Amino acid sequence: MDPLSAALKIAGSGLGAQSERLRIVSENLANAQSTGDTPGAEPYRRKTISFAAELDRATGGSTVEIAAIGNDQSAFPLEFQPGNQAADANGYVKMPNVNVLIEMADMNEANRSYEANLQVIKQARDLISMTIDLMRSQS
Amino acid sequence: MIGTISPLGPQALSKPTSIVSEAASAATGDVASSFAAALADAATQTAATLRQAEQMSIAGMQGHADTREVVDAVMTAEQSLQAAIAIRDKIVTAYLEVSRMGI
Amino acid sequence: MDPVNLFDLAAQQARWLSVRQTTIAGNVANANTPGYRANDVEPFEQVLDRTRVAMTATQAGHLGGGATDANYAVRQQEPETAVLPSENTVALESELIKAGEVRRSFELNTAIVKAFHRMVMLSSKA
Repeated sequence: MDPLSAALKIAGSGLGAQSERLRIVSENLANAQSTGDTPGAEPYRRKTISFAAELDRATGGSTVEIAAIGNDQSAFPLEFQPGNQAADANGYVKMPNVNVLIEMADMNEANRSYEANLQVIKQARDLISMTIDLMRSQS
Repeated sequence: MIGTISPLGPQALSKPTSIVSEAASAATGDVASSFAAALADAATQTAATLRQAEQMSIAGMQGHADTREVVDAVMTAEQSLQAAIAIRDKIVTAYLEVSRMGI
Repeated sequence: MDPVNLFDLAAQQARWLSVRQTTIAGNVANANTPGYRANDVEPFEQVLDRTRVAMTATQAGHLGGGATDANYAVRQQEPETAVLPSENTVALESELIKAGEVRRSFELNTAIVKAFHRMVMLSSKA
């Protein structure tokens, strides 16, 4: 495959991976306070996402793929909220194991990576244009 | 490479300049020979600027030359080539006119 | 030194730059992949040296292959900064700087080719 088209394909895979990551992060953030319905019930469990490099024969480069979307198995923090419908006998509620600060930091990084991939796509596209422009007569 | 861009190789100029100098030698010998010399000079100068542009471009692609130097060299070559071609065309036209003159 | 064909050199450089662009794309796409090591192509001077050696080794008048086979070695870079716990060595900033270099060289390359093409066409006109 023509190297510049390969670059487009690879950067495209990067865009896809990062936007999936952003989706997971926003799901975590949206459910940061989602407790269960009944006393002692499990709240929302934080989701995680991991990437893997895929050596692509056709392009000769490495695209990126979603390896897995999993669940964060860390323990649920307990908060004292006796009035909550999910409060157990002692008045403690299991809260989702989502740390808003960590999610925000993750979101920033995902945005940054997304922008970088977008820049690569723009540049590859411009280089292809320049090559085709060589044929255009009179600059 | 330079061979393909040489509208005014010194050889190519010999015929028109000889016609010009013959026709004019009767009238003003000095002017004619200096004109021919000027034309020959222009030809060699064009070849030199073209060679310089080619070398600068090669150096530029290898990363040994400054971008601005490359651009300047190439533009100078284009300018002198353009002028040389204009001169060549004029000479050819003049030669054809002279050859059409009634005897 | 043997006369180097300008258009051939430009084509070679353009191919090398495209491969470098693809490598940069791979690095940027895998900036968050655990265990991924950043790659880069061998420098252009090395490619030219290989071609020169290949050309002198073959018979006179035989147009050699060498680097025109476009197999530029893509090697793992030495990590410049401390390696992260995830073993990922991609630094987005240096990748984007490299991309800028590629762009500038490519623009110069196409501009040179265009200018010399114009001159050839100009001098071939009747």
